[in-house]
Amino acid sequence: MDEPFVQLVSDIKTELTYSSSQLSRLKLYNSAKWSAEALWGMCVIEPTTSFTDFSKMDESPLRNRCNTEAIVPQQSPEKASPSMDTFEYNQYLLASTLFDCKEFDRCAYFLADSTHPELLFLKLYSKFLSWDKKNQESVENMLTAKDVKGVQGIGNVNGDSKGRESIERFRDYEAGNNGHHKKSADLDNGDSTSVPAILKELNQYLSENREKEEEVSVGFALLYYLKGVLYKLQDIPSNAISSFLSSLSLFPYNWTCWTELISCITRSDESLLLLKVLNEKLTSEKSQIMLKFFKLSVFQEFNGNIDDFIQELDYLLLIFPRFAFLKTQHALINYHYMDYVSAGLIFDQIIKLDPYRLEDMDTYSNILYVMQKTSKLAYLAQFASGVDRFRAETCCIIANYYSAKQEHEKSIMYFRRALTLNKNSTSAWTLMGHEFVELKNSHAAIECYRRAVDINPRDFKAWYGLGQAYEVLDMHLYSLYYFQRSCALKPLDKRMWQALASCYEKVDSIDESIRCYSRALQLSLNSSQDISILYRLAILHEQIKDIESCRGYMVKCVEAQEQSDGLISDEITKASLWLARHEAKHKKFAEAYKYALNVTHGSSQEIEEARALARECRRRMD
Amino acid sequence: MSRGETPSQHNSTLAVSPVVGNRNLQMQHQSQQRNDPTLHNQGTLGNQGSSATQTLPGNQGSRNLSHSHRTQTPHHSVTYSPLVQKIQNNASLASLATPAPAQNHGGSTAGLLASMTKSGLFGPAMPSTLRKVSATLDPGRTRGVGQEDKMNMDDLLDSNQIVDSIDVTQLPAAEKLRLWRHDSLMQHQYRTAEYIGDKVYAMTGDPNDAFWLAQVYYNSGSYVRAVELLTRNNLDASSVMCRYLTALCLVQLKKHEEALDIVGETNPFQDPLSNRVKNQDGGIKLESSMCFLRGKIFAALNNFERAKECLKEALQVDVKNFEAFDELISKNLLTPNEEWMFVASLDFTELGDNDEFIKSLYISRLSKHLNLDQVRKAQDFLIDEYKLENNTDIIHSHVDMLFTQCKFSKCLKLCEEALEHDEYSFTILPTYISCLYELGGKNKLFLISHKLAENFPKHPITWFGVGAYYMCTNKISEARKYFSKASILDPTFSQAWIGFAHTYAVEGEHEQAISAYSTASRFFPGTHLPNLFLGMQYLLMGTLQLAEEYFILAYDVCPYDPLLLNEMGVLYFKKNDFVKAKKYLKKAWEAIKALDSESKSWVSIHTNLAHSYRKLGENERAVKCFKLVLETAGKDTDTLCALGYVYLRMNRIGKAIDSLHGSLALCPSNQTAQELLKQALEVNLLTALDDNHPLMVSSQIRQQSSSLENRKRTANKLDAHAMAKRLKHGQNSSDDELYDGDSMELEYTSMQ
Repeated sequence: MDEPFVQLVSDIKTELTYSSSQLSRLKLYNSAKWSAEALWGMCVIEPTTSFTDFSKMDESPLRNRCNTEAIVPQQSPEKASPSMDTFEYNQYLLASTLFDCKEFDRCAYFLADSTHPELLFLKLYSKFLSWDKKNQESVENMLTAKDVKGVQGIGNVNGDSKGRESIERFRDYEAGNNGHHKKSADLDNGDSTSVPAILKELNQYLSENREKEEEVSVGFALLYYLKGVLYKLQDIPSNAISSFLSSLSLFPYNWTCWTELISCITRSDESLLLLKVLNEKLTSEKSQIMLKFFKLSVFQEFNGNIDDFIQELDYLLLIFPRFAFLKTQHALINYHYMDYVSAGLIFDQIIKLDPYRLEDMDTYSNILYVMQKTSKLAYLAQFASGVDRFRAETCCIIANYYSAKQEHEKSIMYFRRALTLNKNSTSAWTLMGHEFVELKNSHAAIECYRRAVDINPRDFKAWYGLGQAYEVLDMHLYSLYYFQRSCALKPLDKRMWQALASCYEKVDSIDESIRCYSRALQLSLNSSQDISILYRLAILHEQIKDIESCRGYMVKCVEAQEQSDGLISDEITKASLWLARHEAKHKKFAEAYKYALNVTHGSSQEIEEARALARECRRRMD
Repeated sequence: MSRGETPSQHNSTLAVSPVVGNRNLQMQHQSQQRNDPTLHNQGTLGNQGSSATQTLPGNQGSRNLSHSHRTQTPHHSVTYSPLVQKIQNNASLASLATPAPAQNHGGSTAGLLASMTKSGLFGPAMPSTLRKVSATLDPGRTRGVGQEDKMNMDDLLDSNQIVDSIDVTQLPAAEKLRLWRHDSLMQHQYRTAEYIGDKVYAMTGDPNDAFWLAQVYYNSGSYVRAVELLTRNNLDASSVMCRYLTALCLVQLKKHEEALDIVGETNPFQDPLSNRVKNQDGGIKLESSMCFLRGKIFAALNNFERAKECLKEALQVDVKNFEAFDELISKNLLTPNEEWMFVASLDFTELGDNDEFIKSLYISRLSKHLNLDQVRKAQDFLIDEYKLENNTDIIHSHVDMLFTQCKFSKCLKLCEEALEHDEYSFTILPTYISCLYELGGKNKLFLISHKLAENFPKHPITWFGVGAYYMCTNKISEARKYFSKASILDPTFSQAWIGFAHTYAVEGEHEQAISAYSTASRFFPGTHLPNLFLGMQYLLMGTLQLAEEYFILAYDVCPYDPLLLNEMGVLYFKKNDFVKAKKYLKKAWEAIKALDSESKSWVSIHTNLAHSYRKLGENERAVKCFKLVLETAGKDTDTLCALGYVYLRMNRIGKAIDSLHGSLALCPSNQTAQELLKQALEVNLLTALDDNHPLMVSSQIRQQSSSLENRKRTANKLDAHAMAKRLKHGQNSSDDELYDGDSMELEYTSMQ
């Protein structure tokens, strides 16, 4: 290991230590967990170097303490913040315990007039949580009520429509109550908390205390973070993004902030711009590391250059060899590229490394489902429910298991359970949609997909599912739009273009359809092999009377057969027949004969016709 | 009995000495010359044609007399009153059973407290028609003196304690009885007072005693008996004071016509030269009180124009008549402008040192729709100079201001602070209840209405609170019941009337709502709200002409209310006069600018403004407005639908479809949104899938980006802010533009 690298690693170590302790002090548990996990997964270097570097850290308020109590640096942050006086510290202690006991309203009450940024963060955060909790409770009541009805409905023969009804009722309920609940949660006392109110206070404070930002950077960073979260909730992504950016430039070691940032962007071009900005903004080595993590996540969502990705991943794996998060990213990328085997292998490694980690295990169950490893899936389901039965991930795994066993009703029930536990799980909504499709309940499926895209408009599967479901319902205008959306998210996926093309074909826009098919053909890995696209293209060209091109594609179709290992599909038969007819018409009997002979499979009618043609041609040739 | 010491209409009842005994005592103990002027006056009684100028010396005399009384004699009836006992704690603690009269009497303040008069009710200052003198005066008087000795023993106990001031024993018997009667009246022992008063009257036949007996009757609520007593002896014809009392009783009996006969339809003392006679005793002029009573009667007879005039006159005659002022303001008899002009015209100089004080107090009660700076100045003055920051009325002024500005949550907080000092402050409670209703605080409404119902079952505000609670919980018929109960208890309680009308409006019963609102508008000519609501009802019914008329009426009363301006905007919008609509909505927007954006009115004004932009074809502005509404008020199906429509018109198909989807997600049965979505999707289909199509462009970007390895290094400079702006711009501008720009930029960088 060379010197700068060691230096970098120890720098990152101190940063992560600091961030983990600060974040858990300020109750951002998930971020703190991430930092701690990262710290745990780092490569080991000699303790001596790390020690000296500890005390080298400049801005950290820990510096003094590290010098004196260098042996127990992890304990010091408990009483950390620089500008907190005794009174404020006592206030913090009270608020912190109340927060831990989940008494959010009380916590906010006791911090009512605090001006310290960290205390203010705690106050507003607990206000927000209290609001969120109350909202969720009202939804949960609905969900549990629905659960019963949904299951009953599915038990019936006419379960489909009932399932749909219950979901729609759920939607209605939310829509009807949004006006009230979304706006404010109150105790019917006249004083209420609402997101705009919290935002107002936050903005006021931030604009008044701009100059203090440097002193208590963590506090301010978290305030900005909260602001971003609230703006996101208000559906003002641009403001949210700028808040997150300010937060990250003050304090980059806050992983949830990065993830929130990703969730604010919906299109790939936006992601490119964002990365560009971040590259310039965060230039220091320490924040570069976080940026690399961020890039990995962005890649998962929007794709990009795979080589870049691998490079970054390798670099990070060098520093964090035992970090489960990184491994998961690796597995996910394999999953996205449909390399299920290696993805599964990586997941196996992760389980060995950290057996009780349930995060992303639902993805693993998806992989197992696709690979049809039912027994392994069953084991995973048992294991997960042994770890924690009431985790959304566990429920998803079990749901996948039931789906693999073709017990779709049960599967849906478990997906519902997962959604009760975590209403923002997109994949659960999407998968539930798939289950409803299996049950031929398009309407319910549509509702599920819709929920999924409401939560996460970057989920191309949900958009695609929507398109398909509407296609089944013969509402092609709708399905066209949804396919367009999914295609915009995955412009390099030929399936999207194919779907789009067939949709255009159904609404008689032949030109567009041809364009889409050609695009799909371009994107196809071995374009000369994609018989179905070629055949569709030929047919479409025939429809617009471009016989020449049509013939070209037909020929390609037939040629493709030669390359494939003699597997003869329906399309090839039809193409051959068409070519035979075409050539016969143009008096090229030799070719026609050849093509007609080619028709060996297909319906009896087709074979009959081919034979007739062949006979005719032979006769003419002679 | 001294006839000369009569209160004229220029005096308050204070002008005559409060305690009978003292006066008589003085009469006897002091030189006969005291009686001389009064005797002289008595002589003038016969002169029926005496003019006002002649009465003046008499008045002056009486004033002197009363002044001397106050300085020389104690008012021991006052010291018996519980109020004074509190002040003189040392005296009352010793003997609670029979409160001892204090050694050092309360002086002039005590005199103020006991504004009771016994003698000198009849005088020459009366208009000639009313001057009828009862002949029984003198015999009664002598009889009283004759019986004096019999009563000596009864008063012994008291008299022993009054060491240095009065020797009760030396009083004549009738005087002792009068003292007794008076004291029991002060202690609210009406039956004793009635019993003794009756006896005194029977003994003396003195009209003064009759008057006092009537007072006792009035206090004990036997209004009919009081009237009978006063009219039987024609007292009401001969004394202003008695006339006032008779009229008051008749008002209490709701015999308004008769009361009006007694007080007269116009002020008989009106001075055409308007040179005011100064009242120096600091009390309220009887003339003013009479005017006030007249005003109340007119109000009860639904003649609000006259009522307003009378009340104004009452204040012009005597600024101290707060009740008249309160009636004018709280019953909304004056429009905001009139209120301000009227108070500016009042003459406060009579109050001497207190003129600024009282003026500020009055100003702080005026309408908060205009001259806010003056109100604030008055409030600050009262707080700084007089330390009144915790006074309920000052807080009420603040509360009112906040309520007018629709800052409900702040207002609620302040109300709660005020109610901590005074839990049942009836000045604060109506606003408090309205605030709770606005904010949906049904729990607190429940509590307060229960408390009120327990403690004040007969107060209109109680039932107003109950009605508001039911309104909040959406039990309309219950709410209506209680609102009507409140308005029956007090027909001049405007909030209850309007609440009552609202119950019909909520249920969509336009006809009934209109009749209720129009009653309210007749009752409360000073407030624009009933007219505004009337206009809104007509607007709902589609009768635009009538609606406009009512709105204009309301606009005349109060052109500052953003709600009214908003409604007028809506009206012109409906009349397809979008330019005018925009004008009014902009005005409303100006008015509401300073307000919190959470309030409902803020949202509706912005929505309406956005719609008129949409109609005027100012698409960009419309979009901006709609987005602002969505950002502040949360998602709403109609707003999203309208936004989708504007986008569709601007040919931004993607955005249009997005917002229409959002609209349908909230309300799947939104017909308009469905139609529009269908249209948008058709347009989407027709959009040629050429190289400019977003899909094509995005896929090109994607390809380029994955082929560009060094792209990041050559990236342009961009800071976070510009970035956010860009992204926002990306949302605002059409997809095509953005994509074009991006791809161009990317090409540019790749060339480098």
